[in-house]
Amino acid sequence: MTLQEQIRSARLRTVLVLVLFILLVALVVAAVYVFFGQGFGLIMALVAVGYGIFAYVAAGSIVASASGARPVSKEEAPELYRTVENAAIAAGLAKTPDIFIIDDQAPNAFAAGRTPEKAYVAATTGILALLDRRELEGVMAHEIAHVRNRDVRLMTLAAVMVGVISMIADMLLWATVFGGGRNSNNQNPIGAIIAIAAIILAPIGGALLQMALSRRREYLADATAAELTGDPEGLARALYKLAVDRHPLQHVNRATAHLWIESPLRDHHGLRSSIGGLFDTHPPLQERIDRLQEMGGFQLPPIPAGGAEA
Amino acid sequence: MSTTVLILIIGAVFLIVLVWLVLTYNGLVRLRNEAQQGESSIDIQLKRRADLIPNLVEAVKGYAAHEQEAFERVTAARAHALEARSLGDKAAADGETRSALGGLLAVAEAYPQLRAVESFTQLQAELSDTEDKIAAARRYYNNVVQRYNTKQQSFPASAIAGTFGFLPREFYRIEDDAQRDPVKVEIGG
Repeated sequence: MTLQEQIRSARLRTVLVLVLFILLVALVVAAVYVFFGQGFGLIMALVAVGYGIFAYVAAGSIVASASGARPVSKEEAPELYRTVENAAIAAGLAKTPDIFIIDDQAPNAFAAGRTPEKAYVAATTGILALLDRRELEGVMAHEIAHVRNRDVRLMTLAAVMVGVISMIADMLLWATVFGGGRNSNNQNPIGAIIAIAAIILAPIGGALLQMALSRRREYLADATAAELTGDPEGLARALYKLAVDRHPLQHVNRATAHLWIESPLRDHHGLRSSIGGLFDTHPPLQERIDRLQEMGGFQLPPIPAGGAEA
Repeated sequence: MSTTVLILIIGAVFLIVLVWLVLTYNGLVRLRNEAQQGESSIDIQLKRRADLIPNLVEAVKGYAAHEQEAFERVTAARAHALEARSLGDKAAADGETRSALGGLLAVAEAYPQLRAVESFTQLQAELSDTEDKIAAARRYYNNVVQRYNTKQQSFPASAIAGTFGFLPREFYRIEDDAQRDPVKVEIGG
């Protein structure tokens, strides 16, 4: 696929995942209604919406502090600063995002902040040491692409929705254990069983959709980055180096995993079943490199199995 | 009863068309503004480069006063860049400035003492940074213009574009030779 085709396809798939998300929420609402009737369902809906708003607001600026990032000025890190500045110009952002450095040997980078005005990007000392200028341009363009595509807001929303679904499921399970349900006795049992099944499965489904959404946004950010730099090969080379590197990231947190250039949770021992891929926040690096190769018309050697040094 | 239904259906269709109209119109306005913003962003960087040129010329003159032709070319190109009003003129002057600067830096290469002067290497680094930023601003502008032109030309949005005077925009293109051979500035020598 060409660059423009990949961007279009990633957008379309995002919409598909979001539609599935809405259907899932509708399913949960329907299950609540069938199982508990209107009155209790309404109370629960209010609690859920309240919790959702609280979680969305609270998710604001926890990332940088949790990751041990410190802000840097243009004088301290001129090359990194220029790279981010140029990517921001190419993306048409009104201002260059604030830049943070994380003291960590593991090469990685992330973008955060819900609006482009409040956005910031961070890079580990490991990635600055590992990559040359061209590769770093690719990586920072990927982060700026997340900012421009409003991915942080989207993924925060997705995380909050999954949280709300899980909360409803928990409440229902507790209610079932202790109260047996208000209306369940005088309704047909098959409906109740389906409702219970839906409530148990909904959080898992939500998590799967959240991860699928995250992977779509990674592909989109890669394609956008190629558009911003005009150099898909730079990013592909960087991803290749990241794939070969074996440093585990120190400050890892499942809640922020979707923000990084490559998954900080990546299994460094190669022990992963194929089904594990469904719960990944990031697509496999080889697949991402392949797509960049397709749009750029170049060829890198395949990633060695298990990494070069282990 | 059936007339009520009919009126409702017509109303709904009318409403949908209206919403589509507003969204498409706003989309075109947004892209047009973004293209405008992209052009200003190019202007800012071009201005920044024009501001660097006098200092650069002075720095080289101190060591190579007789290289008159290279100085004149750069100064003339800078004047053209500052005069340019239309996008095409700006792009032409941009290309001219690039190749003239390339010539000037080639001259500077021949004077190793010059490359040891800190103010000169600093100017060189700033020039190289500005070239990168011009390139970034150009990519943004051209990407937006491509999106705008595609939208403006494709049916049915083209009907709205035609009615409300959304004209296609030209791309910012510099001549091929300048693009293939950009000013290469080595930092630090």
